Amino acid sequence: MHGRGVAPALTGFSLEVPAGSCVAILGPSGSGKSTVLRLTAGLDAPTAGSVHLDGADLAGVLPERRGMAMVFQRPLLFPHLSVRDNVAFADRVRGVPRRAARRRAEEYLGLVQLDGFGDRPARALSGGQEQRVALARALAAEPRVLLLDEPFSALDVRLREEMHELLADLRARLEPTILLVTHDHAEADALADSAAVLDGGRLLQAGPLRDLYARPASLAVSRLLGGRTEVAGTVVAGVHHSPLGALALPRAFPDGAAVLVLRHEAVQVTPPADPAADAVGTVVRVRRRGLRGLVTVEITADGGSATVDAELGPGQDVGTGRTVGLRLPAEDRWVVPVDDASDGPSAGGPRA
Amino acid sequence: MSAPRAAGAASRAGRALLALWLVLPLVPLLLWAFADRWAFPAVLPQEWGTRGAEEALAAGAGGAFLRSTLLGAVVAALATPLGAMAGRALASRQVPAGTAVLAVLLAPLALPPFAVALGLDVLLLRLRVPAALGVVLLLVVVAVPYTTLTMRAAYAAHDRGFEDVARTLGAGRWRTVRSVQLPLVAPALAGAAFLAFLVGWSDYIVTVLVGGGRLTTLPLLVAAAAAATGSEAQVAVLSLTAILPPVALLVVVGSLGRRGRRA
Repeated sequence: MHGRGVAPALTGFSLEVPAGSCVAILGPSGSGKSTVLRLTAGLDAPTAGSVHLDGADLAGVLPERRGMAMVFQRPLLFPHLSVRDNVAFADRVRGVPRRAARRRAEEYLGLVQLDGFGDRPARALSGGQEQRVALARALAAEPRVLLLDEPFSALDVRLREEMHELLADLRARLEPTILLVTHDHAEADALADSAAVLDGGRLLQAGPLRDLYARPASLAVSRLLGGRTEVAGTVVAGVHHSPLGALALPRAFPDGAAVLVLRHEAVQVTPPADPAADAVGTVVRVRRRGLRGLVTVEITADGGSATVDAELGPGQDVGTGRTVGLRLPAEDRWVVPVDDASDGPSAGGPRA
Repeated sequence: MSAPRAAGAASRAGRALLALWLVLPLVPLLLWAFADRWAFPAVLPQEWGTRGAEEALAAGAGGAFLRSTLLGAVVAALATPLGAMAGRALASRQVPAGTAVLAVLLAPLALPPFAVALGLDVLLLRLRVPAALGVVLLLVVVAVPYTTLTMRAAYAAHDRGFEDVARTLGAGRWRTVRSVQLPLVAPALAGAAFLAFLVGWSDYIVTVLVGGGRLTTLPLLVAAAAAATGSEAQVAVLSLTAILPPVALLVVVGSLGRRGRRA
């Protein structure tokens, strides 16, 4: 799939989804990411640009002939059908006899661990079960591409994790090609091989999640992937100068103003006397996250002040107001261009 | 604990009163229908019998019943799909100036039916439209606002996401209408069809004026019998014949709607 461009919901957007892989489209609400799915499914027609499947242009191909099943945020189970007949829907439409379709539906219900639920009316299920049935119904259509539009974002955390495991399991068994839309970088990380970051209808960066986390192309990408630390400064000859001091960068960057971004997972909190500490500052905020805490450390130097977020190790505890040292591993330092266009990560139209 | 119980009791009492209000007028009708003689001071008829029914049959109640049923069915069959299409279009806001369109659709309800029927009768005569066809056409116009309003409400509550899902699962446009859209709005369709049926079933003015008296339906027969004297039993039988089929239909439609909501 490639060469798609639609104004104003999408501009200059191009993305390839290799067969058998799972690609996530990551973006805030209003970034146009659902538009990508609707265009791919043929539910909306692009004003310009195209969708290709196995090299064939899908322009003008009706949604029912594209071989793409879509799972939405809401389960949208047909309320007038039983769970089994919901899953059998695609087969029935294809003309498979009722009994054969229902037998196959039972198999797919088994795949999503809902054996024995076939006779229930679609409305007699819990939220998580409904979304499982929706997934089974889409898989039973044996789509060439499975489109998932924030399918798990309405579920609570535990159910969502169960669904992530289920989907990983289904990927291993059926090897479907999946295009997933989500606003949650952790979900993209858990499910997808690679991701495309979309904001304001533009593709900001695409690549494996590890690359996006470690080497974001812009502040917007860093923020969408949960980056918390941004320190403005200047790069001179491969060294970033800021209130944090002079920090050597792992590779060459052009000289000039640039923002240092650091993953809080990579920053280590040490005693202030630690000789290996790259900076020393005061803890201004502590947030609890189970056994690990997340601290915000303020570093004041002659040039001004900066804040760095760091994740504490399990059991490590630091109180507000304490002076601590910070190790900023050289290989985890990264700089992005100063972004004066947007203040926040979210900008764009009303479409999700 | 006691407040909900009191509210429940009040609700039951209210419903009982309402039922009484609706059923009470039927009691004298039932008595009259089987009264061969019922002179003034007596509380109950002095002689029971089936003379009313025999007279009604002799007056052509059977044929009128069939014609009324047919008229109601034809009006429902035409006005329901029209109303469904108009309602869907209006609910989806695809129609420019939807409110104005709705106002035009509702206009036949606001105008005095006698004036409309009389005016259009002249037009239909000039166009040489057969009387029966003219009656059907006019009644469909009267019924379409009811069906449109009913279906507009149904489609406003209808989630198009179901249709998107069906399309991506391989269902074509018509298959989606048949297998997803229609089942989901079926209770509303039944309600709209019932209203349209009632328009045809119970109409008097249009049938008299445009039909020119040649299309004898139940309401015409009731009116004719009521205008004569000494035929109370016959009027009662005819009235009951006119009331009971819609009540039976209403029970069917109501249970259909309840099943739709529960499913």
